[in-house]
Amino acid sequence: MNFEELQKTWQAQDAGAKVTINADQLLKEVRRNQQQFRATIFWRDAREVGAAFLLALYFSYRGLRQDGWADGLVGFACFGVGTFMVVDRLLQRGKQPAASDSLKTCIEGSLLQVNHQIWLLRNVFWWYLLPIAVALGISIGCSSWHARNSGLSAVFVWVISNLFVALVYWGIYWLNQFAVRKSLDPRRQELESLLAALGNK
Amino acid sequence: MNAEEQEAIFRRWLSDHLGLMLKLVRAGAATPEDQEDLFQEVLVNVWSSIRAFRGEAKETTWIYRVAFNTTMAWRRGERRRRMGHETFLKLDTSPQAQPSHVDSSPGQEIVGRLYAAIRQLSKVDASLALMHLDGLSYGEMAEVLGISENYIGVKLNRIRKQLADQLKGANDEL
Repeated sequence: MNFEELQKTWQAQDAGAKVTINADQLLKEVRRNQQQFRATIFWRDAREVGAAFLLALYFSYRGLRQDGWADGLVGFACFGVGTFMVVDRLLQRGKQPAASDSLKTCIEGSLLQVNHQIWLLRNVFWWYLLPIAVALGISIGCSSWHARNSGLSAVFVWVISNLFVALVYWGIYWLNQFAVRKSLDPRRQELESLLAALGNK
Repeated sequence: MNAEEQEAIFRRWLSDHLGLMLKLVRAGAATPEDQEDLFQEVLVNVWSSIRAFRGEAKETTWIYRVAFNTTMAWRRGERRRRMGHETFLKLDTSPQAQPSHVDSSPGQEIVGRLYAAIRQLSKVDASLALMHLDGLSYGEMAEVLGISENYIGVKLNRIRKQLADQLKGANDEL
């Protein structure tokens, strides 16, 4: 059998399956998919951006009430981080590839998104952890300075506070790097190999 | 485009291009469960893409693009997320579901072996093999994949050889 005959056999094939489609259920599924997608995005934003803005409000309020400029600084840092996340989401929103793009365009779009996500997580220290850490460090330092007459207990509180912050920071940093290693890097490699197979070397 | 128009187009595509979608799904997933899951995913994406369809591309080219992009992003494990939701599709590819003349024909056996051989190829090569077997021109394949026609020619030579190696015995002249 030559290739042309094989093509004819292929094209003459029966669908080879019995298909039953419940159109109403399909429409429900489409709507459910879209709602689920919107809900996932909303709750992710609410969790990350909302937490940053809530902390910003809390520390700003504390700063204003107690006339504590250091708390206001923490509030400002949280506000900056929240704003950075919002701006980043808005900039990335229009770059989603569509399912009807050519395969190469779709893969390139997905690769851009994955690379951006990797960049964000790899640099989480600079845009997320460091600004808040500096502000928190100053705030804890100020509190300790005000309580300097309490003697050893003030030093103890200062050490414990800093240790706790450092531990939380290490956990956040580790989790972000783990996400890069575990899921984003393999996805990037897969997309790069697909692009290479399409002749984009 | 309103919801009624979208639904009308979707129903027409489903009736006109069901065979094409099934072929792409069977080539993209091996087990009946995976095929059913991938088919659901393809249908959902085809439905969602209809609003963006302006008629500039052929319907078949559009469906190839959506189906290939879906297959590339689809993961077997993702089926889990649909658990607990009522399925809108029943896909039966078992021999009992097929007419007796189809099940026993030698052509059907070759087609079955071809599906198995295509699933051994890389995802991009499998996409090209499917379009080549369906008789698409180099221009159409280039439009679906977004690569040059020259490169498609080079790749197809290699793919035909790979398929021939895998089907050796039944298709010596391939």
